[in-house]
Amino acid sequence: MTSKKQGSVPLGKDEITPKHIYNSRRKFLKQMGIVGLGAALAGCVPATSPTSGPTQTEPSSVATLSGLTDELGNPLTDYSAITGYCNFYEFTTNKENVDDLAEDFVPDPWSVEVGGLVNKPQTFSLAEILEKFDQQERVYRMRCVEGWSMVIPWNGFPLRQLLEEVEPTPEAKYVAFQTALLPEVMNGVNSGMFPFPYLEGLRLDEAMNDLTLLATGLYNEPLPPQNGAPIRLVVPWKYGFKSIKSIVKISLVTDQPVTMWNTIAPQEYGFYANVNPDVDHPRWSQGTEIRIGENQRRDTLYMNGYADEVDYLYDGMDLTVYY
Amino acid sequence: MNQHIEDRKQESQRFQLKVLVNIAGALPLLLLIGSYVRGELGFNPVEAALQKTGQIAVIFLVLSLAVTPLRKLLHFPVMGFLRKPLGLYAAFYAVTHFLIFAWWDYGLDFQLIWGEIAARPFIIVGLVALLILLALSATSLRAVQRKMGKAWIKLHRLTYLAGILVITHFLLAVKGNLLTLQGDYALPLILGGVVLMLLALRLPFLKRIFQ
Repeated sequence: MTSKKQGSVPLGKDEITPKHIYNSRRKFLKQMGIVGLGAALAGCVPATSPTSGPTQTEPSSVATLSGLTDELGNPLTDYSAITGYCNFYEFTTNKENVDDLAEDFVPDPWSVEVGGLVNKPQTFSLAEILEKFDQQERVYRMRCVEGWSMVIPWNGFPLRQLLEEVEPTPEAKYVAFQTALLPEVMNGVNSGMFPFPYLEGLRLDEAMNDLTLLATGLYNEPLPPQNGAPIRLVVPWKYGFKSIKSIVKISLVTDQPVTMWNTIAPQEYGFYANVNPDVDHPRWSQGTEIRIGENQRRDTLYMNGYADEVDYLYDGMDLTVYY
Repeated sequence: MNQHIEDRKQESQRFQLKVLVNIAGALPLLLLIGSYVRGELGFNPVEAALQKTGQIAVIFLVLSLAVTPLRKLLHFPVMGFLRKPLGLYAAFYAVTHFLIFAWWDYGLDFQLIWGEIAARPFIIVGLVALLILLALSATSLRAVQRKMGKAWIKLHRLTYLAGILVITHFLLAVKGNLLTLQGDYALPLILGGVVLMLLALRLPFLKRIFQ
């Protein structure tokens, strides 16, 4: 299905990038644990591929990624765990049931409306996105605010590329995101427990950081519905709830966007939500976490281990205030 | 003559209930262990075991509190003795729940555990409830009961406090906003409602209605 090139193949379509930038970017990406297998997903993703069956059988491409690690040497979390243990409250609050309940969620056709304070607003179909932006492989840690974490091999491209495409105006200070709201398929929506649609946001410079990813796949497979198909955000230095799923709208705005968890409990879920063992949740500690698949707790890392890449964003900010 | 038959009937009912309550008490633990051994506790087995033991403990506690009103309602005085085994099983699962937290999850790292307990109201609340249940368990022997006399009755009224503390512990552990009830509050609220109702039934004027 996917035509993968084996060996260390460069990230494709980089002829237009000046060589010195390409080389330093490649070095940076290598340091970030990105594997250059060059699995270009553009054009190789079938138009409709709903997952079949309640549990995900490991796709063949998983074998090529097993044994790989993140840049700190942590092994990848099993595909079955990543796709079988999800927080997607639109379906259910039971993490292990989301895959079953999301079975009927077929994200096709899909479009993402990108607008607001931009020169070139545009609505992209998923196919257009996959065509226009090279999908890279990125292995990131994900840390949930609840105190568990995973190591996930995403497929996607930097959000920056999409934003540069639409050209934010100088007034744009933040990026706001919105998840699809489909009550017919998403059974949990009608419970009234949460004020959907799910909303999230980033400061513009956070959105432009190279780590910030728009992911369309994981383990070299298209995103399963329970993981936020067909396109989602991944911001690895923040708690998982910032990594909004199943995006339908991206807007450039001047004011700090409203986010769902901040609306529900502002004293517990801040806008920044940077992973920080020194800033506790009001009701539980953030000092340790359980890596899914492991038996022992491990210490939580400042900025989830990405401090070198993102610390500059918070220069001079008191992170106990801007939690 | 009739009294003799009545006694025998009560004795056999009592025996049947005893068997029933002990099966009910042991079964959840056996099922939990079985699930764990078969790897059926899901992707976060510590979390699953912690949640399940907590739920089982609070259900046993609520059942124990429900015995007295139910006994009167159903005109089934024999079941009165069930308060003790149900309460003891509540304590047992509460201890297991705590050990899963302190031992399995936090590896008996006392510094880490103390750090968690000291700063987290919801853990402190749970711990106080656990201590109450332990005190009640320790004084549950009939010999102790006889020695303590009236003080025993007063001590064992703390079961209601334990019930309130446990529901509070449960509510404070849910991700969401307690004040606006945005979050997964269904189970703790239902149990909370039941506990409040059982408490209310002990109030003098309501007691009279039921007698």
